[in-house]
Amino acid sequence: MTTVEQARTTAPFGRLAAAEVRWVLRRPRTLVLFALLALVPVAIGVGIALTGGPGGGDRDGPGLVAAVAGNGLVLPIAALSLALALLLPLTVATAAADALAGEAAHSTLRGLLLAPVGRTRLVAMKGVGVLTVAVVAVLAVAVVGVVTGWIVVGGPSGTMITLSGTTLGLGEALGRVALVAGWTIVQLLAVAAVALAVSAFTEHPLVVLAAVLGGLIVFGVLAAIPSLEWLQPLLLTSGWGAGTDALRDPLPLDGLASSTLRALVYLVLGAAVTVWRMRRRDG
Amino acid sequence: MTAATSAPQPVTAAPGDAVAARVRGLRKTFGATVAIDDVDLDVPAGAVLGMLGPNGSGKTTLIRMLLGLTRPTAGTVELLGHTGWDLAAALPDVGALVEGPGFHPFLTGRDNLLRCAAAEPRLVGDARGPVDAALERVGLADAARRRYRGYSLGMKQRLGLAAALLVPRRLVVLDEPTNGLDPAGTRDVRRVVAELRDAGATVLLSSHLLAEVEAVCSHVAVLQTGTLLVAGELAALLDADAGGLVVSTPDVDDAIAALRAAGAPAHRAEGGVAVPPGPLEAPQIVAALVGAGVAVWEVHRRRAHLEELFARLTEEDA
Repeated sequence: MTTVEQARTTAPFGRLAAAEVRWVLRRPRTLVLFALLALVPVAIGVGIALTGGPGGGDRDGPGLVAAVAGNGLVLPIAALSLALALLLPLTVATAAADALAGEAAHSTLRGLLLAPVGRTRLVAMKGVGVLTVAVVAVLAVAVVGVVTGWIVVGGPSGTMITLSGTTLGLGEALGRVALVAGWTIVQLLAVAAVALAVSAFTEHPLVVLAAVLGGLIVFGVLAAIPSLEWLQPLLLTSGWGAGTDALRDPLPLDGLASSTLRALVYLVLGAAVTVWRMRRRDG
Repeated sequence: MTAATSAPQPVTAAPGDAVAARVRGLRKTFGATVAIDDVDLDVPAGAVLGMLGPNGSGKTTLIRMLLGLTRPTAGTVELLGHTGWDLAAALPDVGALVEGPGFHPFLTGRDNLLRCAAAEPRLVGDARGPVDAALERVGLADAARRRYRGYSLGMKQRLGLAAALLVPRRLVVLDEPTNGLDPAGTRDVRRVVAELRDAGATVLLSSHLLAEVEAVCSHVAVLQTGTLLVAGELAALLDADAGGLVVSTPDVDDAIAALRAAGAPAHRAEGGVAVPPGPLEAPQIVAALVGAGVAVWEVHRRRAHLEELFARLTEEDA
């Protein structure tokens, strides 16, 4: 009896987190989304190879994708920017939807609460799972992007020509890719935190997806209305163009820093609402 | 109606020892609907308590409050000696199958259980042994490596039972455990409940299958429209409800006349004449019948069944 009383009342967090990561990475829809994401840089690469590879086609079209043409390491950055518009947020929103609303829909949330996994620990465990999805998704785009860029474009011995016209060495170019990848992960975590908060309120995963995608669209519309310009600093998506700043030389940090700060605010608010709600939610 | 609570239980011993679970003044409302209305109930340690009630009588709501899944509107819950904010501290020793099994369709039964096992505080070391043992215990060993998606209703129910039995428990709560089970599955549940009882665990079982409850339970609690009608030891409740004789005779009218003349209230019943408990004892009744020249095939004491008790309790209120 006394040994029972002294035994732990909740499972070790490492074991919970490991089980959560295993669960997340085995879910078929997550794997399908990872595969789709890996196709984004491949599609860009194929497009460039077909329309005008290095030394051919018209190079005078401006823009990001055109810049990739002679310039392999721009491809992962272009692919991340492109995926951040819809596919990456969709991926983390799916993970967040499954994390709480999906578990509730399958009646498995009750099992976790009865085990018991403490309610705050449950949110932390789910956070680890969603973080894993965000990291793997961004890595899928970045790594496949680097490899595709290297195969399709080759690039003049692994250097990167910036939008500003200067040339970066391989090491610094890869550093720029890593910087954009990290920045993208932080932006996605902001989306994920808000999605988890919605997920904590519903047992319909689709509500979470609709909320996140609807939110992205509404933010896009608000950002396009000139008279609402004062709203810009509040909108998460208004900083999402900053990823391509990494293609300039010298590196302008203003946009990256302010958008990261904004994402962190969303992250903290989303996490707080999620914890608040999960501590009260019926199992 | 709430007066008849917890009748024949010696539950005045030290709290937390004599009872595995205790609720006092428990009430739950959803808007204007009263789901549970001022319920007092003790689940004695070591008992197998069957909770009975028509659909919508509040059985599941009561269980959910007992396990801390839903907050009571009013009243207190005590679970294995833990109350209030501390209630979750009792849960590692509680196995539960509430509102049907919940698992992920894309995982096999075994992988689903391994995921449950990772969250079990009482489980240390390799989870595969306990998981396989639990699967064996509920008769799912052969289907363990099939995806949950393909499980039949009964197999899903068995897996839910296995999750409740992953580690040794002091209290097991089973909400409609025989739902969807074939007769063999029902027998398996009965066997598992008996094993748990023999191991000293307390079992709280909700069901609408009266025969099932009568077969496995030592105690019953009857709920109707959120009110506890009666609770106590099954044998004592049935004894209190039993009594009277049934007389098998071809001369029903004569027998009734003879008995009424002798002062016993008799009436026509299936199989002959029923004699409710009255002033006359059995030998005097037989003597009265024989004295009146009534042919008697058989006289036996009417045994009360849970079904009759239940019907009487739930219908007299309606």
